[in-house]
Amino acid sequence: MTDYSKPLPKLNGDNRQFWEGCRAHELRFQQCTACGLVRWPPSFLCPRCHATESTCRIASGLGTVFTYTVYHTAFHPGFASELPYVVAVVALDEGPHVLTNIVGCRPEEVKCDQRVKVVWDEVTETITLPKFAPL
Amino acid sequence: MLESGLCNYVLISYGHSALSSDSMMQMLTDLSGDDAVFGHFGATGGYALAARRAMHTFGTGPETWKQIAMGQRQWADLNPQAVMHGKTMSSEDYDHSRWVVEPLRLLDNCLITDGGRAIVVTSLERARDLKQPPVVILGMGQHDQPAEIGQALTMDGPTGAKKAGEAALAMAGITLNDVDACQLYDCFTYTVEITLQDYGFFGPGEGKDWFQGGTIAPGGRMPVNTSGGQLSEAYFMGLTPLAEAAMQIMGRCGRRQLGPATGTREPRIVLCSDNGGILQSHSCIILGRS
Repeated sequence: MTDYSKPLPKLNGDNRQFWEGCRAHELRFQQCTACGLVRWPPSFLCPRCHATESTCRIASGLGTVFTYTVYHTAFHPGFASELPYVVAVVALDEGPHVLTNIVGCRPEEVKCDQRVKVVWDEVTETITLPKFAPL
Repeated sequence: MLESGLCNYVLISYGHSALSSDSMMQMLTDLSGDDAVFGHFGATGGYALAARRAMHTFGTGPETWKQIAMGQRQWADLNPQAVMHGKTMSSEDYDHSRWVVEPLRLLDNCLITDGGRAIVVTSLERARDLKQPPVVILGMGQHDQPAEIGQALTMDGPTGAKKAGEAALAMAGITLNDVDACQLYDCFTYTVEITLQDYGFFGPGEGKDWFQGGTIAPGGRMPVNTSGGQLSEAYFMGLTPLAEAAMQIMGRCGRRQLGPATGTREPRIVLCSDNGGILQSHSCIILGRS
C-alpha cells in the first residue's frame, strides 16, 4: 500500500481521535457533556453552548446524503483513474455532517436524502477512510 | 478614513497573472485541507455541492443556469475587453458543454484571467473636481454564514446575501423596485441565482421563470453583469462587478452602456455584490449618481 498516490489526512491533536477511530472501524466524535451536541469538525468548545467538556461518541455509521457532486475532472493526478467519482456530504443520524465519497453504486444512482452506511477503505497501514455506500 | 482626514484617496486594486501561472488553481486546491483525501478540491466542487442541494430543495437546475450564462455572454459580446467577446453562446453550446464537477458544466464556471482592475474612493467634494462624474455609495451591508461547505446548512439559502441586501437597501432608503441593474459576484452561474433570490428578486425556485426571455441580457428588465461578468468578461474578484457598476453610472461603457442604446433603464442605482469562500461571506453595496 506504499504506492497510495492520493492525499492523506494530516493528523493533529484535534483530529487524531477521529482518524485513530477510523483505523479501528469506529466513527468517533466529540459529544458535548452540557448540551449533547455531537460535533464535527473537532473543537475545544461546543459551537452551540460553548461548554468545554466533551465525551467520545461512536456513531452508528448510518446517515443520509445531504448533497453530492460527480467529479468529471481530476484536480489531483491520484484521482484520474477514478473518474467519474462521487463526493458527498453525509448527514449522520447522530447529527454531524461529514464530507466523504459514495461508493458501491454508479454515480447516477446517488440521490439526496438517500440512506447510506459507512464502509471502510484501508488505504495505508495507518489510515482508513470512512466512505459511504447505499443501504 | 476619508472623513477623518487620515487620507484623501483610497485605491482599491487587484491584479493577478492567474491564467499564465498555476497560482490561482494552487490557491484553490490548497484550500481543500483534508477534504482532498476524498478528491474534493477547489471552488467548483464546493459550489457544485451547494447547487445540487438547491436542485433538491427548490428545484433549480441547468435550465435556470443556462439563462444566466447566455445572458451574460450577450453582454460580453458588447464589450471589446471581454475575454469572451465575439464568442456567442447558444443553448446547444451550453447543453453540450462538458461537466467539470456535476451539476456544474464548464460554462457554469467563471474565467481565470490575467489582468487587474482598480477603483479610487474619495470624498464627494474631491470627486466633483475629477475628470469623471462622481458615483456615490448609497448603502452597504455585510453578512456571513461562515460554516465550511461540509457543515453548511445554508448552501441553498438564505446565504449572507439576504441580510446584507436588506441592510444595504435600508441604508440607501430604497427598495428593489428602485434598482436599475445588478453587478454581482458570479464565480458560478448558481451564485448569481442564489444571490438574486436571497436579495428578494424572486422566491425560492422562481428563478426558473424569472430569468426566461432574457431578463438579465441586453434589452432585459433587470440587466445583470453588463461587462459579461466573471463568467464572460474577466475574473478580478469583487472588482469585476464593482468597477462595472461605477463605469455604468459614469456612462463610460460604450456599446454596452445601460440606457436607451441597450434597451434598458438608465443606470441611476446599481446594486453590487461580493462573496467569499463557498457562499460563506457576503457584501452588498449600492452605488448611485451623486
